[in-house]
Amino acid sequence: MMVRVDEKTTEIIEEKIDEAIKEIFSSDKPWVTIVWDDPVNLMTYVTYVLIELFGFTREKAHGLMMQVHTQGKAVVSTGSREEMEHDVARLHEYGLWATLQRGDQAL
Amino acid sequence: MSAETEEQSSGFTRHGSDDYVANFSGSEREVLINLVEQIVELLGERRDNYDDDPLAAIIGITSFDSPPDDEVLMRLLPNAYAEQVDASEFRRYTESTLRAKKSANAMSMRIDLKSASDGCVEVDHDGANAWLGGMNDIRLALGVRLNVQANSHEDLEILAPDDPLRGVYAVYSWLGWLQESLIQALMDDAL
Repeated sequence: MMVRVDEKTTEIIEEKIDEAIKEIFSSDKPWVTIVWDDPVNLMTYVTYVLIELFGFTREKAHGLMMQVHTQGKAVVSTGSREEMEHDVARLHEYGLWATLQRGDQAL
Repeated sequence: MSAETEEQSSGFTRHGSDDYVANFSGSEREVLINLVEQIVELLGERRDNYDDDPLAAIIGITSFDSPPDDEVLMRLLPNAYAEQVDASEFRRYTESTLRAKKSANAMSMRIDLKSASDGCVEVDHDGANAWLGGMNDIRLALGVRLNVQANSHEDLEILAPDDPLRGVYAVYSWLGWLQESLIQALMDDAL
């Protein structure tokens, strides 16, 4: 027996497959590293550490530092739990105040 | 006789492609060595009793999973998770490594200062990072003593002449300035 699938149905199926693929890949990076504002750390120091540890451009590092400074915190990296634990450990080594948590948790 | 000058330091400047140089007066050098030694001592305070488990000692797992009681240590060795169970587990496996790395930064500063009998400290890129981390730890420690969380810089600027925190704030500010000079020297060629 021949099953005919119209164009609309094909579209819906493809959409569902896309969603499933996205979910599989995004669940691979569900953790985030957050840097918190701190009255001691110099603004230029935070920028420098982000460049040194993550290889960010000066602009990107400056933008994240400003986000920490004005909003109290910023997500500086995302990835697996192990990767984020590594990032937090390196940030602590430089004296930045950092924590990790699930990306879907409220900041 | 020492060739050391009493001229105040003008901070770090970059020499060549990746060398950073600062000249310190005798008293500046003395203050820095003193602070660095205090940090080393502080970081070494929480000793583990490894008798129970020599293997754990070798691979750096500590029996401590609670945050340090001391407020300064807590700032130097903060929790990695907001959630206490995860924070404790992470601390158990990583705190001794973090302590060792922070001590190494402070020790590296101490060696540079001790060997600079003429007051001239010269470091490469890695050495500069050790100084930045080390100076930052001292500032974090002094910041706790000064309670910079609650006190604004304006509050601290107008401390009474006989307030013991006045001297602490002077050192804290000077270290911030010194750290800034090294960051500027490093960022000079970061592009």
